[in-house]
Amino acid sequence: MNDAGRLADLERLIQSAPVPWQTQLLAVGASLALLAAVLWLVRRRALGVEFTAVWIAVAVGAMALSISTDLLGLVTRLLGAWTPRSTVFFFAQFFLIATCLHYAVRLTRLSLQVKNLSQEVALLSAELETLRAPSSRAE
Amino acid sequence: MENPASDRDRLLIIPAFNEAERLPRVLAEVAGAVSGFEVVVVDDGSSDGTADRAAEGGARVLRHPFNLGYGAALQTGYKYARRRGASLLVQMDADGQHNPRDIPGLVRPIERGECDLVVGSRFGGAEVYGMSLAKRVGGMVFRAMARLYGVRITDPTSGFQAMNRSVVDLYTSDAFPSDFPDVDVLLFAHRYGLRIGERPVAMNAGTRPSSIHRRLTPIYYTYRMLLAIWAVSARKRRPSGPQEARTRE
Repeated sequence: MNDAGRLADLERLIQSAPVPWQTQLLAVGASLALLAAVLWLVRRRALGVEFTAVWIAVAVGAMALSISTDLLGLVTRLLGAWTPRSTVFFFAQFFLIATCLHYAVRLTRLSLQVKNLSQEVALLSAELETLRAPSSRAE
Repeated sequence: MENPASDRDRLLIIPAFNEAERLPRVLAEVAGAVSGFEVVVVDDGSSDGTADRAAEGGARVLRHPFNLGYGAALQTGYKYARRRGASLLVQMDADGQHNPRDIPGLVRPIERGECDLVVGSRFGGAEVYGMSLAKRVGGMVFRAMARLYGVRITDPTSGFQAMNRSVVDLYTSDAFPSDFPDVDVLLFAHRYGLRIGERPVAMNAGTRPSSIHRRLTPIYYTYRMLLAIWAVSARKRRPSGPQEARTRE
């Protein structure tokens, strides 16, 4: 058998290796913890309902992949990765980068709104001062 | 300082951040040099009593609740001018580097209807402004880029400018940057068909840079300006030009 054949066998062997129950338990636990944290934050009004959809989806998706190792294996093979762990890390990193970009866009919009509001405060304060000035009242 | 007959129509905007020390002198010089302008100081969240000094100097004061940046301070002045229905606006810095005696020269091309926006150039005045080599090189690069896009200005980073209502309308839009409005906004105005001119002005050498400019780090500034110039040229020109922008309010 040549090197390419041995490598393919090794890839198949690693991909078909069962996920240890400890890892599976940890992944399910982490998914549940994330779900619980999101719900707890919503309950405390620390996280707006409008921001929860993506986090709930992540928690549920992670839980589905943790329980169904076949599904994770399928996704791993589709991506061309060797181990399910690589797949999980790939999606986690992609999600974090996308989240950062999303919040940068939101922050840009909020900065613009804060700037416009502050300018409005400055202009209205000046108008108020004019109206309160003695000469203005005399008129 | 104010001429009731025309000061509603002509505004002098001075953005200031922690300039309590130098602003009174600037305001006194303005009072001695020009008349017929309402002088408006935009205090960009100063903590040293700049707003009080400005009011004592006879200026109208617009106070930002906190520091928003040089561009935002200028834009507050533009928004004020728009509400006042001013037809002419001059902007100058609060650090004393601009000479108010140059204001009539800046304003003249606008009054004659030759330009919409006039930039005071440091490179044609009687006095030479003491610029560092880095700033000179940066100025050359931005000058070349402005020329590439059709704006022939020798000093595109000058903050000493005069403009008419069309420019003010355009600059009150959300496209105006909050931090460093320089070459990119000139290109922005040029893209909207506004006529940009230039007049030589004298700059007071040896002036310590204004607090409002001091945090400007050259590397970030260059990066930011190059990206902004690209963005201005890459964006589609919206149909809402100055005229339409004015009717929105």
